[in-house]
Amino acid sequence: MTLEIKDLHAKIGDKEILKGLNLILEEGKVHAIMGPNGAGKSTLSKAIVGHYDVEVTQGDILYKNKSIIDMEAEERALEGIFLSFQHPVEIPGVNNAYFLRTALNAKRKHEGKEELNAAEFLRAMKGHLEALGMKSDMISRSLNEGFSGGEKKRNEILQMLILEPKVIILDEIDSGLDIDALRAVSEGINKMKDGKRSFLVITHYSRILDYIEPDYIHVLKEGKVVKTAGIELVEHLEEHGYDTIVEDAGL
Amino acid sequence: MKPDSLNLHALQDKSAEALAEVFGAKQPKSLLDKFSSLGLPSKKSEAYRYFDPEALLDKTYKRLAYVPREIREGEKLEIVNGVVITAPKNLRVYYGADSQVDSEHYDPLYFLGHILSPSVIIIEIDGDREIELLHRYTQSDTLIHYRIVIKNQSNRHATIYESFESEGAQGSLVLYGYDITVAQDSTLRIIKNQTINDDAYAMIASHHVQVEKQASIILKTFDFGNTSAIQLLKVDLGEHAHIDVGHLLYLSGKAKRGSISQIIHKGEHSSSVQEAKNILEGGSRGIFDALIRVEQTAKYTKTQQNSKSILLNEGTYMVAKPQLEIYIDELEASHGATTGQLDKKQLFYLQSRGISQQEAKKMLIIAFAKTLIERVKDTRHQEMIQESFERAFYGKRIDG
Ligand SMILES: Nc1ncnc2c1ncn2[C@@H]1O[C@H](COP(=O)(O)OP(=O)(O)OP(=O)(O)O)[C@@H](O)[C@H]1O
Ligand SMILES: [Mg+2]
Repeated sequence: MTLEIKDLHAKIGDKEILKGLNLILEEGKVHAIMGPNGAGKSTLSKAIVGHYDVEVTQGDILYKNKSIIDMEAEERALEGIFLSFQHPVEIPGVNNAYFLRTALNAKRKHEGKEELNAAEFLRAMKGHLEALGMKSDMISRSLNEGFSGGEKKRNEILQMLILEPKVIILDEIDSGLDIDALRAVSEGINKMKDGKRSFLVITHYSRILDYIEPDYIHVLKEGKVVKTAGIELVEHLEEHGYDTIVEDAGL
Repeated sequence: MKPDSLNLHALQDKSAEALAEVFGAKQPKSLLDKFSSLGLPSKKSEAYRYFDPEALLDKTYKRLAYVPREIREGEKLEIVNGVVITAPKNLRVYYGADSQVDSEHYDPLYFLGHILSPSVIIIEIDGDREIELLHRYTQSDTLIHYRIVIKNQSNRHATIYESFESEGAQGSLVLYGYDITVAQDSTLRIIKNQTINDDAYAMIASHHVQVEKQASIILKTFDFGNTSAIQLLKVDLGEHAHIDVGHLLYLSGKAKRGSISQIIHKGEHSSSVQEAKNILEGGSRGIFDALIRVEQTAKYTKTQQNSKSILLNEGTYMVAKPQLEIYIDELEASHGATTGQLDKKQLFYLQSRGISQQEAKKMLIIAFAKTLIERVKDTRHQEMIQESFERAFYGKRIDG
């Protein structure tokens, strides 16, 4: 397994959001998480990457068998954990290309590799931009500033492609994407499947799942994973909603 | 008082007559009266209330004998310890009697500067040109004082890039300033890039700018470092005159620094834009004490004033006081000040991509500062300012 979440309890402010959540991400597998609004899906993803909003009060998160809950966010990132945010933040004044290169070089440095200069970096980027259908001016602009919803999501995927993380968490990467963007983004994700990386895909819709073919579907309700099944569960959910899902015994 | 030294504190509460004894009877009485009535600045002075000038003034400084030298030709206009050393070809620079004093200035040290420097440096800019003005200070524990008069020509557009260097000027106080008349239909830009670190010297700069009909002045100051200095500015705007002031402040250590300004709209259709960005670190205090006054005669005025500050740690303090004083009925004005920390969400986003917290902070601070730096049109100077900022920010000692 790549990532193991054990009996995780977490608060935002005074409110307990995750209430004893268990989940194992297997190496090379694609896990999808579905669940009602406010169930705690984004909170879970934030807990994994060490977001300041989320305070873990009980339980543990193990990455390669080591606890990461006391690690700084940047360390987790350097170790290969990546979250594509549901709402990527805009940072005026920080050039997108400069940001991407700084992030890539931080990782290369961490791995003992040589850093890339601006020209080398741009060369390495070109293919990714084309694959994602991103205009080259997107990376000369300020990071996410004035990007449309879909453009922001593509920029998240671009970061994933560049940083080549080991654990990839995608929080509603499909929301707000047009049909072409959804395909491009899904292809980007599929390109990263190499049997070694693990994916955690948070979504409300089956459409993206048709493209990326998850191995498992988990249902998150009221701060817990209440059901785990194969892709066939999606159809059931689409028909009957989350109300019919009751907690599996033993979870 | 010995002629070669001066304790400014001794000038406190002196009558004009008593001042005449100190400075010699040849001084215009009007200057002495003005200085005497405004009084030596203290914490209680209106203009200096946030700066605390006493530490700088209560000290005996050496004085220099200001003997004008022959001005050599050089690439830059270089003023060393208040004396012009070189000037570019075809630039008229000379010494003359001090004839341009704004009798309504609010700053007592503006008048003291005039009293101390009866002979002023006059720069006449003809045509469209760019001038590099380098101020250099090399004397320690000295009161270095000089006044500069700048005149340009109507219909012309000139830029002055002002920079500062020092070596062995510790303990000195520089008292200088401009009296500028921006001629009708002309534009004058002054871009000041000044880093002062480790008490290299202290500075009180006191300026007056008269902007004539349909003329514009653009004043951009880039003030960095860990040492105290203050800039006092008074601007009078004529009809259709325009001013654009930008201040970027990056302070660390125990610096108290910033600007005090009064922009006075006198003519109809005059406009002003004033923007300050302040980044404070360590135990520093930033000052943006900026009054815009719109007089009865200044109908159809537009004014915009804004200050944004980022406090990087506790123990810093920003005095941001944009003020509007209006004597007309209708006015297009916007006006505001914000003070905060770096945006947590932005910081986290960068860190979540493996960028260290320190690097992420730098990126955000540079982003904050950049909008002002990028407005310096000339690429070379833009880069120089960017470099000064980064050097100050990355904490390396530089001089000047
Ligand atoms: N910063 C916050 N302050 C207070 N409450 C918060 C905060 N962030 C999240 N919450 C609350 O935590 C709960 C879980 O939110 P979370 O964003 O994890 O839900 P979600 O499952 O991702 O929902 P959605 O499908 O709508 O994205 C919600 O009730 C939400 O209101
Ligand atoms: Mg969510």
